[in-house]
Amino acid sequence: MGSRARSIAIWSVVALVGAVAWGVVALVRGEEISAAWLVAAALGSYAIAYRFYARFIVRRVLEVDDRRATPAERLDNGVDYQPTDRRVLFGHHFAAIAGAGPLVGPVLAAQMGYLPGTIWIVVGVIFAGAVQDMTILFFSMRRDGKSLGQMAREEIGPVGGVAALLAVFSIMVILLAVLALVVVNALADSPWGTFSIAMTIPIAFLMGFYLRVIRPGRVIETTAIGVALLLLAIVGGGIVEESGGALADAFTLDPETLAFCLIAYGFAASVLPVWMLLAPRDYLSTFMKIGTIVLLAIGILVTLPVLQNEPVTKFASSGEGPVFAGSLFPFVFITIACGALSGFHSLIASGTTPKMIQKESQVRTIGYGAMLMESFVAVMAIIAASILEPGLYYAVNAPAGVVGDSVQSASQAVNELGFAISPEALQRAAAEVEEESIIARTGGAPTLALGMAEIFAGATGGAKAFWYHFAIMFEALFILTTVDAGTRVGRFMLQDTLGNVWKPIGRVSWKPGVYLTSAIVVAAWGYFLYAGVTDPLGGINQLFPLFGIANQLLAAVALTVATTLLIKAGKLKWAWVTAVPLAFDLAVTLTASYQKVFSGNPRLGFFAQRDAFSDARDQGEVLAPAQTAADMDKVVTNSTVDGILAALFAVLIIVVVLDAARVWVRTIRAQRAARPVTTTEAEFVESELFAPAGLIATPAERERERELVGAGS
Amino acid sequence: MTVRDALRGVAWYLREVSGETGYERYVAHVRREHPDAAVMSRRDFERRRADDRDANPRARCC
Repeated sequence: MGSRARSIAIWSVVALVGAVAWGVVALVRGEEISAAWLVAAALGSYAIAYRFYARFIVRRVLEVDDRRATPAERLDNGVDYQPTDRRVLFGHHFAAIAGAGPLVGPVLAAQMGYLPGTIWIVVGVIFAGAVQDMTILFFSMRRDGKSLGQMAREEIGPVGGVAALLAVFSIMVILLAVLALVVVNALADSPWGTFSIAMTIPIAFLMGFYLRVIRPGRVIETTAIGVALLLLAIVGGGIVEESGGALADAFTLDPETLAFCLIAYGFAASVLPVWMLLAPRDYLSTFMKIGTIVLLAIGILVTLPVLQNEPVTKFASSGEGPVFAGSLFPFVFITIACGALSGFHSLIASGTTPKMIQKESQVRTIGYGAMLMESFVAVMAIIAASILEPGLYYAVNAPAGVVGDSVQSASQAVNELGFAISPEALQRAAAEVEEESIIARTGGAPTLALGMAEIFAGATGGAKAFWYHFAIMFEALFILTTVDAGTRVGRFMLQDTLGNVWKPIGRVSWKPGVYLTSAIVVAAWGYFLYAGVTDPLGGINQLFPLFGIANQLLAAVALTVATTLLIKAGKLKWAWVTAVPLAFDLAVTLTASYQKVFSGNPRLGFFAQRDAFSDARDQGEVLAPAQTAADMDKVVTNSTVDGILAALFAVLIIVVVLDAARVWVRTIRAQRAARPVTTTEAEFVESELFAPAGLIATPAERERERELVGAGS
Repeated sequence: MTVRDALRGVAWYLREVSGETGYERYVAHVRREHPDAAVMSRRDFERRRADDRDANPRARCC
């Protein structure tokens, strides 16, 4: 009775704190509110969701069974299948799902105000994102760690399977292009940033060599050396910049050159052995990622900054925002994918994680819990963007076509948008972080770095330029890790697919095949990167919506597979758990694709844009922001390609869902007629392992662990 | 919990999460499951493991 009463009391308090915080966030108007309220609202909601909703799904819907041995226990081979401590696996899984996505999307979505983004991040993760991650992890675990593509093919059929494969590949290409574009925008004409990032390549080689030859397997000391060198590289970047001589010039690169550097880097990373470049960079980036996220959390909690952004800006309804076009529905839900609902996670949740999980009940901690943590990273990102003065935010995030290239033109453009910032203030903001200019630094990374520099400089009393470049460096570092790992994964997928047609190309050791497939993957994302860099309308503005649509498309595939599996397991009455988020995701993605394809507004619809620019071109006119006839050609080509892609994504989703609906109907009919439905689950084997379910073991679980150790098992 | 325990916990976590304990785990696995088989040296084991990652790349999300 005592513990039950205490539990009720504690959860009532948590619910009350969360509810009050939401009330303040949503209702207080006309005065600036502290970021503390956003943090409290998010954390309170997560706690309630984890305690009640996730538990309900695990117990009632999925019916996890700890008497059943997991693939890690049954197939333990000491390599890819092995039971791994839940806290360790949580770390691995989180490091694999969280990257630049939850940091970039919320920053861009801040143009609608902090409220819509925050609500979507918190509500979306609770009912969609974390549910997707956890159910896919569970279903893959019950099938010995099958991938999402395999499950789609087996459960839905060849058509759904092929569409799923296409979806995975196209999201990979767009994702890599957009992320690389973020890096280019952050490093362009910045010798400090470019020098620091360039240095990570020799540092990685050094670490790789050390790990391979000198001290095999000593990851921690190698990483410590790497991090020390990395911090030196940031300091060194400052010296290079101040020297102002030939060295500074050598690292002052224009966007196009940087794009080609990244393309060459992606190719090299895909063909070189992993131990040389990819593995050491991965250690470095994982360490920096966790370290910086923790630092950001501490910074926000210590300084509790005040939000300058409006709760809801006029762009939410007008759809005329400069950062990306379109109104709140559906574009907030497209722009913020990672952190709320990210289809890409289903690839991780059906990859290595299900092969390492010790007990079935741990899917709640690892699948749902890690995603809640990513969501919190997204909330911190929206806070970091919202503590900036709105005038500064728009000067940084509007494309060059809108704000021009001087502080005067930017100040005027921001005034026309309805916000205020003086040319002097813009100059000062750039000087404070020792950058030449911060105007039209789109892509989210520089904005986040400005916000983080503000927070860290507030907490440590200065060194704003160092913190700015620290933030830029770590973002670029882990974006590049996604780019190099992604190129490699894309190459394997391509080799695998083409190998069905012509055997030799499928062999991972056949060099010409490796070079050819790497080149194709790099060319695919390189094309979009280059188009984005040179796009007169601004690459982020054009491409980010496509990235969001592609990611949500993959989420639709994952939620469709999960719904299909629930129905096949005879749990039609619980299918809403994944079917409702699926329906919402479909509404969002299809509306967004529809508007991107059919809208008559040239700012929003790709084909309307194409028509406007091609008509003008035929008349010999030049439409702003294009400046030459060649610019006009670029806009026409880009909007055609982007429009076709948006249409293709919509068709893919419709195909997958219709194909799945056919399977649903057939399955339900068979169940009604009491015909047996075959299951693809691995057979039940009694488990002999014991491990706690949550991150922190309960007293009873600890007692049980002690008994088992005592019994010598 | 003393400071010492906490530090020990952190060291344990870092070693586990970074995969440094992979070799110890492998040795234990071989000794337990295949007592007659030869055990690879640390250098060979780490080399094998790195080369396995060559063939099985892991995606990193955004």
